[in-house]
Amino acid sequence: MISDAVYTLLFYAIAIITIVFALAVTMSRNLLRAAVYLMMVLLTTASLYIMLDAEFLAGIQVLIYVGGIVVLIVFAVMLTKSAEMLDRPPLRRKLSAGLASLVFAAVTICVFWTSRFPIAQNHVAVPPNNTEEIGLKLLDYGSGGYILPFEIISILLLAAIIGGIVVARKTPPPEQPFTTGGDLTGEADFDAPHTQRPRTGKHI
Amino acid sequence: MIESLSLHKPHIEHWLVLSAILFAIGLYGLLSRRNAIGILMSIELMLNSAVLNLAAFNRFVAPASVDGQIMALFVIAVAAAEAVVAMAIFVAIFRYRRIVDVNRMDLMKD
Repeated sequence: MISDAVYTLLFYAIAIITIVFALAVTMSRNLLRAAVYLMMVLLTTASLYIMLDAEFLAGIQVLIYVGGIVVLIVFAVMLTKSAEMLDRPPLRRKLSAGLASLVFAAVTICVFWTSRFPIAQNHVAVPPNNTEEIGLKLLDYGSGGYILPFEIISILLLAAIIGGIVVARKTPPPEQPFTTGGDLTGEADFDAPHTQRPRTGKHI
Repeated sequence: MIESLSLHKPHIEHWLVLSAILFAIGLYGLLSRRNAIGILMSIELMLNSAVLNLAAFNRFVAPASVDGQIMALFVIAVAAAEAVVAMAIFVAIFRYRRIVDVNRMDLMKD
């Protein structure tokens, strides 16, 4: 009984903290602060996953989101000088965005509150070792296994890495046409824009 | 006090409402911000609330299996890939045109 009471208290406390930080993410003018608030939202969501008996998911959340994506966002904010430009949306835009999201929230909450879900009976055995179960399921090639999506995800991540490197690398100055092939030594600051640029087949 | 708290243990509706609120906040940020990176942060918020939905359904509808959590892992992986590519595009656009304002990213319009 005590543990149920603590669970309830924790749920509402963490939910309120998460909502406050999420509001701070969308309303903060300084984007660097918004990134830190986003990190807090992701951490509190990880604790919500632990409350949902998904410990492995919580660990992955901290590793990938907090350790990877937030760092990436902070780097992007610094590289694009976004922290210096304060994002100040006009009032009309704020109002229409607020109205749209309020309507969305109202409709969704009504739908959730009135539908009946096929809830499992209490005291169904939760797998005792969450991580082991997920690992076995991910590499299972029988029916109900996830080996094919797992491999496709790894190819997707490889493609994203290569795409990120190709798109974000150094590009020629604005007078020259936008190409991705401007990364050879001396090619980017080649100061004769009308002559043919040296072409090599070695670099894609 | 403790009894009433233990009787009101959060049920699936409470989790779903929490994730709907988070999604709506993300939607607000998506619609109101002008900075492209701020928009990407709002998208991360929305994806995060969707993952919370998956975990909640896994816990309450099919607690004996881990399929919802595996789906959540895939969503997190795809979100990471999306964030990488979007950041690369924004950094490239900033290098080329010195803007991060989505209102002025209209190179393909004319």
